[in-house]
Parts: sequence; structure tokens; C-alpha cells
Amino acid sequence: MFQILKDPHFDFMGKRNLLLTVSFVLVLAAVAVLFVNGLNLGIEFTGGTELQVKYADTPDMTEIRSQLGAAGLGTPLVTTIGDPAGNEVYIRMASRGSADESEDPTIVVLAALRGVSPESRGGMDDLNIEDESMMAALLRQAPSLTDSQADDLAAVVLEARRDGAIFKTHQDLASIPGMTPEVISYLSTNSTIGPLALRSQSYIGPAVGQELIDKAIIAIIGSLIGMLVYIWFRFRLQWGFAAVAALAHDTLLTLGLFSIFNQEMSLPVVAAFLTLVGYSVNDTVVVFDRIRENLGSYRGKDLAETVNLSINQTLGRTVITSGLTWIVVLSLFLFGGTALRSFSFVLTIGVLVGTYSSIFVASPIVVIWQGYLDRRKDRVTGAQQPSGDRKAKKVRRSKTG
Amino acid sequence: MSKNPLAWKFILIAVVIGVAFLFSFPPKERINLGLDLKGGAHYLMQVQTETAIKFEMDRVQNSLGQRFKTDGIGYQAILPAGEAALEIRGTSPDQRPEIRTTLEQFVGGWEQESLGEGTWRIRMPSTYRSQVELEAVDTTLATIRKRIDSLGVSDPIIQKSGIDGKRILVQLPGVEDPTRVKDLLKNPAMLEWKEVTYPPGADPSNWGPPAGQDAVIALFGGVLPSDTELFAQRIDQPDGTVVEVWWPLKRVSVVAGRDLRDARRSQDEWGDPAVSFELTQEAGKRFEVATRENLGRRMAIVLGDANNKEVLSAPTIQGVIRDVGIIQGGGFTIQTADDLSIKLRSGAIPTEVTILEERTVGPSLGRDSIRSGLAAGSAGFLGVMLFMLLYYRMSGVNAVIALALNILFVFGALGALPFLFSAAGIRATLTLPGIAGLILVVGMAVDSNVLIFERIREELKLGKTVRSAVDQGFGKAFTTILDCNITTVIAAVFLSVYGTGPVRGFAVTLIIGLIASMFTAVFVSRQLFELVLLRIRPDQSLSI
Repeated sequence: MFQILKDPHFDFMGKRNLLLTVSFVLVLAAVAVLFVNGLNLGIEFTGGTELQVKYADTPDMTEIRSQLGAAGLGTPLVTTIGDPAGNEVYIRMASRGSADESEDPTIVVLAALRGVSPESRGGMDDLNIEDESMMAALLRQAPSLTDSQADDLAAVVLEARRDGAIFKTHQDLASIPGMTPEVISYLSTNSTIGPLALRSQSYIGPAVGQELIDKAIIAIIGSLIGMLVYIWFRFRLQWGFAAVAALAHDTLLTLGLFSIFNQEMSLPVVAAFLTLVGYSVNDTVVVFDRIRENLGSYRGKDLAETVNLSINQTLGRTVITSGLTWIVVLSLFLFGGTALRSFSFVLTIGVLVGTYSSIFVASPIVVIWQGYLDRRKDRVTGAQQPSGDRKAKKVRRSKTG
Repeated sequence: MSKNPLAWKFILIAVVIGVAFLFSFPPKERINLGLDLKGGAHYLMQVQTETAIKFEMDRVQNSLGQRFKTDGIGYQAILPAGEAALEIRGTSPDQRPEIRTTLEQFVGGWEQESLGEGTWRIRMPSTYRSQVELEAVDTTLATIRKRIDSLGVSDPIIQKSGIDGKRILVQLPGVEDPTRVKDLLKNPAMLEWKEVTYPPGADPSNWGPPAGQDAVIALFGGVLPSDTELFAQRIDQPDGTVVEVWWPLKRVSVVAGRDLRDARRSQDEWGDPAVSFELTQEAGKRFEVATRENLGRRMAIVLGDANNKEVLSAPTIQGVIRDVGIIQGGGFTIQTADDLSIKLRSGAIPTEVTILEERTVGPSLGRDSIRSGLAAGSAGFLGVMLFMLLYYRMSGVNAVIALALNILFVFGALGALPFLFSAAGIRATLTLPGIAGLILVVGMAVDSNVLIFERIREELKLGKTVRSAVDQGFGKAFTTILDCNITTVIAAVFLSVYGTGPVRGFAVTLIIGLIASMFTAVFVSRQLFELVLLRIRPDQSLSI
């Protein structure tokens, strides 16, 4: 049998104060970074417009910026996105306030980038724009095609564009099944091939942005409370607080790194943070479960010792599952495409931090807290039975269940 | 139960696998893809019901004045007083009973009070108000539905949304040009034919207005006739500039929006795109009379909504038109002609609509997302599979089978959910975050297997027999697995309640995946172990 760790006996709890201090300092650093650097909020939260366009050739960013400026769009964020060979450009504009919401920036931006007024478009159909019915109407006028042939061909042409995203020249059409040289020559004289194609576009009004921020905050706070209540119910209230402290640690550290790497905060990223919350508690619960079990079987042993034992016993599992989950989120980060990059960034960091915190944050807090309660109990001595003992009995009972 | 419970358990597993296959194959037909994968346009719109209230108040203000006149009640003015009230000023104290009766009949249910000195105030009650708002939303929804239907989009979603039900959600799979649809969604359209009021001494067949509003008014000697209003026409010049001219037109239209029975894109005699329309029978009679009277004169086609009307063209009437006509020379392209006929057919949107949220994903981007999702999923699954096989040997095979079934069950559930709950409006769609959720499930579901396997190893190390190690391993790991999955599900439930669209897809996939993992990693995996235990001799060790 393969084993990553053969009977580990690390003394985690012996260094609990040091570990907690290190974690605390790290969290403080993360909070400081957040204050200084801030978060790069996506348009879902700020309101605004974003577009992703694909160019046929390598895009000239300076040219794009000056085109947008000339169209009265100010200085929006313009960056390349994804694989550089993909020639894709990402443009983000803040909301211009609700006053001129009727003015659709998407149309203005596209017109500015294409270099013609939206009404005239040079009078010719752009093969990188037209939808299937327009394409069919265009092809129906080709001399060599019957109407039904034109409709069929339009569908095939559109399908090819859906696969390849953009036509670069009219000669690109030659490889499309059913395309004849006559049709290509007809299209060459009766249509243009624009320099770019729209990949995606979103507009979020300012009202919706605020709503989504509220919902995200409610969801995160709600799930934190949910976790606290669940652990209270299954274990003890103070363990719940320890788990939530570990959660806060994970979330803040990951947020700090998120801010340092200037990743964009979006709805899927909020989802990733909530998943991180679930995952981190998940890891903590495995250790807690073992602590509870061992409290039953090794009674009279020191709590710190029991916790140490439990962590060591579950260490193999912890390392393996964290490793496996990490493999999965890492492949998501590497191969999942740009749309999921920020999402998987959170989880790639979060899985590591979450595993660390269940051992180095949640468990030490449980030990320290219990130690404090015990010392207080010693001082009160006998006069009244503190609640800690009652709870301990309850824990023992529920262990068998 | 038969003598062989294990056989029954495997039959159960086989049945579940069969059902999952049934609902998920072929995936192209069974699995509903979200707009972010399929490509398409998504709109969330707010119906500005205040505008509907304002229209209704205007209507009541106008028609109440007319009603007073027919009932012989004198008054000086009817004025708006705030948002939902009117003040009637300058009535005679002698007519108090008559006023009361007329108000009772005309706006029964409205609060009415006499402020003294011949002034009355009436106020729209809140029940009436909410009814007007509801109707505005419903009519808008119906109009939008008609317009979308005529676009020929397959499987559109058009529904009310939001807590107050004043929002409309529109999802149009496969729509690639966002600007065209948006124009159809937002822009109201009412078509009217109006007679031209010629200035003194003008040649009716040839006259066109000069540029500038003042120049037109000057032609009438500084004052427009009371039945006449100015309407703008924007004329594109060959050099690309736009000139605005103002037509003096009669206030009362010959034909208005609701007189239209049908409108279609057609061609004029030169083969250029045009819009032909058909009037109702009754309007056709009116139009016949009007065109006969106006032979050789111009009539203007006016298009717009209540606030903003524009002259489309002002052709000279060449012959008597009854109920079929054509709008041409408007510089139409095929698309603009199509869109105008759609708007005319569907009728006007009764109130202002603002777009709160708009997303369009091109189909090419959606396909790229599916490709990269598949790549990431396969890489993740392969990595997990390799590790499990190397580390746990034969038991690793067990885990991999459980994992593969888990994925199958998620797809089965995604296929089955819309089928089972279609009445409840539950649509389980696979979105891009959903794919991420599915990949994540692979990592999280295998956790259950690892917990169990590690536990079995521990028990074996304590010197227990294979049989009891497996029993204990599954038994002791179960509570931990349950706790783990419940905590993750708690987070996912919050996400699905407060998340929107694609993010909800993520939460749903995650929840389904974790529930399925309880079945695969605990139940199925256990039965596979039982199968191994049947064949294992007491002196043999377990490959784990």
C-alpha cells in the first residue's frame, strides 16, 4: 500500500500560538492590501458596458483607444484578452449615469471601431455581422443561386462563422461546403468583410449593479451564519466560531491575493468565494468530526493532545483530497478559458488556504478557547457547574449517532 | 427482498443508470444549454409604469372635459394636481348635484371632494392605479411577445420577473445582433396618416416645407391654424448630413395605429424594400374618402409614440386607396422594412421601457467555452483518475467507477429536471459556471471515497479483518461525509437563492453533484466492495 504520510506525529498544537500569530499577521496584511489596492469590480457591480471583440488581424490598441476617444467615449479600459493569437480585445466602460441610458454605448463603440456610421455601414452587408436571415436575403440575390440554395448556403456560412468566430477575407469562404467561385465573386463585390466580430457584450444598469452587490453580501453573510448554526447544532457553538474564524481568514487572504493580482470581481467570482466557504468548512468539519470521536474514546487526555492526534489521523485524507481538488481547480484555471480565469483563481488559492486554515487556524482556536474556559472553571470551582461540561456530555452522546 | 439482497441492490443501481442514460442521451437534445454556452441575447427590462399612469391621467383629463361639455356642465379648466389627481376649476355652485352625478358615472370609485369656490378635486385610487400598472405590464409583455414571435427566434423566454412584477425578462437563444432586437423591444411604433395643411398660395402637389420651424410658421403669417401641428422629418442628404424639416399637419389623423390590420415587408415598383399594410374595413372606408379628397395632394405618414412622432415620408396621393397601401421611398433596407412591419403589426408598447441589463454572447464564444470546459474537465478527471488508480490500486477502480457514475447522474438530473418540473417553471440549464460546478464536483465527490478508503486502511492497520474493516470504514466515515456535503450544500443553497442566471446554474449543478455523490461514493461504492468481498479468501488482503 502506497502512503503519502506514514503515521504522522506532528505536534501542531504545541506551536499553536506561533501559528495563530502568523495567520493573524497574514490576514492583517491582506486587509491592508485590500484597503490600499481595492478590488477591481466588474460591471455587474458598478454598472456599465463591456464588450469582447475579435479582430481579423493583430489589433492596434493605440488605434482602438483613439477611435473610441474620437467617438466621444472618453478613455475606456481597453486590453487584450485570452490567447494573444486570438486577436481579442476587451473593452470596459463605466456607467455614464442613468441620465443618458437610452444611448446604447455598444452601437456607438462598434460603429467607432468599424470606422463607419451605424446607419450607413458603407451601404454593404458585412459578412461578420449579418444574421442568418440577412445572409439568406443577401445570397438570394446572387445570380447563380436559387432561393432555397441560398437559404441552405446561408445556414452553412453562419455555422462556419459560429465555429471560427470571424471571416478574415472573402477567400476564407472557399472552404465552406457548397460555396462556389461564382458566389464568392458575387459576395466580393456585394459585401464587405469587417475588421472585427462581436464576441460578447453586456450592459448593466446602475440600479441592477447595486442590487447585485446587496445580494452577494446577503448570500455571503447568510452562508456564514448558516455554517455557524450547522456546526453549533452538530458540534458546539464555540467550534462554530472557530470554523467561521477560519473561514474569514480564508476569504480575506484569498481576497487579498485577488486584489494583488488585480483579478476582476464578477458574479461567478462571488460564487467561487461561496464555494470556498463551503469547501473550507468541509475541511474543518473532517477534523472536528475526528476530534469529537476521539474525545469519546480517549477521555481524560488533554484536549490539545486529542486535537493533535485527530489532525494527524486525518492528515493523510486532508493532503490527498486537497491535492485532488487542487488538481481539478488547477486544470480549470489552466484550461478553462478566460471566462473562468478569475473564478478558478479564487478556488486555486482558496483550496490551499482552506486546508491550511482547518489545521492551523480552526483547531488552535478550539484548543485555546477551551483552555480559557477550563481555567475560568478552575477559578469558579464547584459552586456552579459551568455549561462547558454539559456540552461535553452532549458531544459524547452524539458521537455514537 | 429476495435471498440475495446484493443482486437487488445491483438491479437498483442498473435501473438508476438506465434512467440517467435515458434523460441525458443524446446530450445535444436532452441537456438545455444556457445562453452563455449556446449564444444568444438576454434582456432584463423595467416597465416604467409611471408613464402608464401619466397617459391614463391625460386620457381622463381630456375625456372628462368632453363629457362635461356633453352634459352641459360649465368649467374653466381641468388641471393635473400632483401625480394622480385632477382639479376642476371654475364650475358653478348651482351645478353641484350634476357635477357629482357626472363624476360618479365617469370616474366612479375615484375620491372626489369639493374644495369650495367651484373647485373640485378627484384622485385616482390605489386599486385603480395598480390595475393600470398591471395592464401596462401585461400589454407590454404581449406586444414584446408578438414582436419576438415574428422574428422567428426558437424557444424564446419572455416572462415577468422581479418582486413587484414590473420587470420583463427576455432570453433569445441564437440571436447574434443585439442592436436590432433591442430596437424592437424598446421602441413603440404607431403609424398615422395625416393630411397636410398647405400654407396660403402653395402648389399642393409640389410643395415641401422649408428648413426650420420658424420659416414654416412664417408662411402662415406667424400663427399656425388651430387644427395644425408641426411634425419633424429627417432627410438624409447624399453627402451624409441630415436635414430636419417641419411639416404642418392636421392634428386629427385620418388613420391611426389601431386601424392597421396587417403590415408586411414588400417591394416597390423598382424592387426596393417597402412596407405594405392593410387597414381594417372601417378604417379603409375613411381612408378611401380621405384619399379621394386629397388626390394630387400630399399626405404624411407619421410614425412614433405618444411623445415623439416623426414624419416618415409625405407622398403625393396618386389614386384612391381603400384598405391596402404601401409605404415606400423611406430609404428602407430589407432589415429596416422588416422591423417596421413587425412593429406596426404588433401594435404600440403602451409605456416606456428601460433596459436594466443586457447580455449578448456570440455563438462562437459559447462554443469556445464548451471546448475549454471539456478540456479542463477531462484534464481534471484524468488527473484524479490517475492518482486514485496509482494510490488505491483496485479500490481506485471502484472510486473511478463511482466518479464516472456521478457525472452521468448529474447529466441525467439536468435532463430530467425540466422534464419533471416543467409546470413549476424550473429550467435546469447547463451554463458556463455550471460546467465549472460539474468539474468541481469531481474534486469534491472523490473526497468521500478518500475518506472511506483512508478509514478502511486505518482499520486494517489496527489488525481488523477485511470484512470488518470495510464495514467500519464505511460506517465511521459516513457521518463525516454527510457533514461535509451538508456544509457545502448550505453555501450552494444561498448561492442559488441569491444568485442570478448562470451563477444559479453553478449552484444547481453543485447541489445535484453532491447529492449524487452520496449515492455513488457511499452506496454504489459499497456494493462494489461487497462484490469484491464475496470473492476474497480470508487469507487474501484487500487491494487498497
